Amino acid sequence: MKTKELHNENDSFLAQWLEGKLSDIELKKLVSESDYKSFLKIRKGLEVYDDLEGSTNASFAKIQDHISNKKGKVRNLNANHWFIGIAASVVLFFGLFTILGNDIVTIETNYGEQKTIALLDGSEVIINSKSTITFDENNWENDRTITLNGEAYFKVKKGSTFKVLTENGDVQVLGTQFNVNSVSDLFEVVCFEGKVSVQTNAEDYILLPTNTVRRINGNAIEKWDISESNPSWINGESSFKSVPLKYVISALESQYNIKINSDTINNTIIFTGSFTHESLNTALKTVFKSLQIQYFEKEKGNIYLSVK
Amino acid sequence: MPKDQHNICHSKTFETLYQMYAKDIRRFIFFKTQDIDKAEDILQDTFIKLWDNCGKVNYDKAKSFLYTVATNTFLNTIKHEKVVQKHQQSMTSQLSNESPEFIMLEKEFMEKLERTINSLPEKQKEVFLLNRIEKKKYKEIAEQLGISVKAVEKRMHSALLVLREHIGNV
Repeated sequence: MKTKELHNENDSFLAQWLEGKLSDIELKKLVSESDYKSFLKIRKGLEVYDDLEGSTNASFAKIQDHISNKKGKVRNLNANHWFIGIAASVVLFFGLFTILGNDIVTIETNYGEQKTIALLDGSEVIINSKSTITFDENNWENDRTITLNGEAYFKVKKGSTFKVLTENGDVQVLGTQFNVNSVSDLFEVVCFEGKVSVQTNAEDYILLPTNTVRRINGNAIEKWDISESNPSWINGESSFKSVPLKYVISALESQYNIKINSDTINNTIIFTGSFTHESLNTALKTVFKSLQIQYFEKEKGNIYLSVK
Repeated sequence: MPKDQHNICHSKTFETLYQMYAKDIRRFIFFKTQDIDKAEDILQDTFIKLWDNCGKVNYDKAKSFLYTVATNTFLNTIKHEKVVQKHQQSMTSQLSNESPEFIMLEKEFMEKLERTINSLPEKQKEVFLLNRIEKKKYKEIAEQLGISVKAVEKRMHSALLVLREHIGNV
């Protein structure tokens, strides 16, 4: 009877079977042997399809469980008192956390941002835009070493040796004020107070107040004296003395978070001057007007340069 | 620091790798075991191994490491199962490839199935996915789409017929 009924409405028995309202045996009576086999396989395939596409988060939770349990097991071998094990692991965990967590400190600045950092010994670092410093806080008393990528101004308290490591060379002092700029292949150190030793791959230098050394792209070291008492960027201005234009462009980019396309101009022209951190328009005007270069903002944040 | 992103011992990196490869590996093992639960187990073991060896495995080699470990773990479970089976000699009927209830799902079959589902006529596909993926009852689908339950069932029925036709005899 039932079979007949389904045949009469013969359009939906497969749907009912898939939902479980119709049993496999009932389906078998309705379709051919090969159809029956195919449908069974399709149903299995659909179930697996859901599983295979389904989330893997449950397994990840189990993995994390397992990983943390494993640590527990190791401790069980050492002590029969499992609670000591747990107490120890909590202590160990927090111990590790404080050691590893606070060990290495990294401070980064973003476009147009400056940060002033007070170090444990009272020394001070002012970090210019788009720069990074890294140091080991725990070992600071014994080893005053900072790794720098970018530009920073250091006011060092007298004490043990203070080192600044950069990709382009190392700077070492006892107690003084100095500025280090190490952006890609430009390396510039200015001494404002005290005595600074600069070590590059090729040579070593001792700088006295107002002395400046600079090396660009592996060329010979240049030396000169400055008249300022602290770097101009501290006061909201970036200054350059006989620098190829491309370094000025990259300083503009990291100060204002913009892209400057200089494909069509000669970016090795030498630039002397400064630009303000206050206004992008003024900065662009001061740099490029004097070099007779035209600039225009094609899209927001994308500036194109061309020769007049 | 860019170096950290490639250190597997960092839990963030480890998790990223998991999100990247977990599904593929589960799938890969499933077609070997034909058992989704076993595939999950092997998936877990594989990533635990990766964690244990996080210091030794190069980030760029992580993918091949995962596939190798997964395959080996699979082979080991087979070996283990054989030992277990030998031990339980009394077992007369075991579920194996020969038993009638067993349906083998080949990779090609699954791919064909997925392709066919994706190529279903729009109306059928809609009902089909609501039912299979979102796990909705026919009645709920009918309410959602504003059609009768009968119409939903008809569409499901037609969809299954299309699948049957495309997949052919098995």
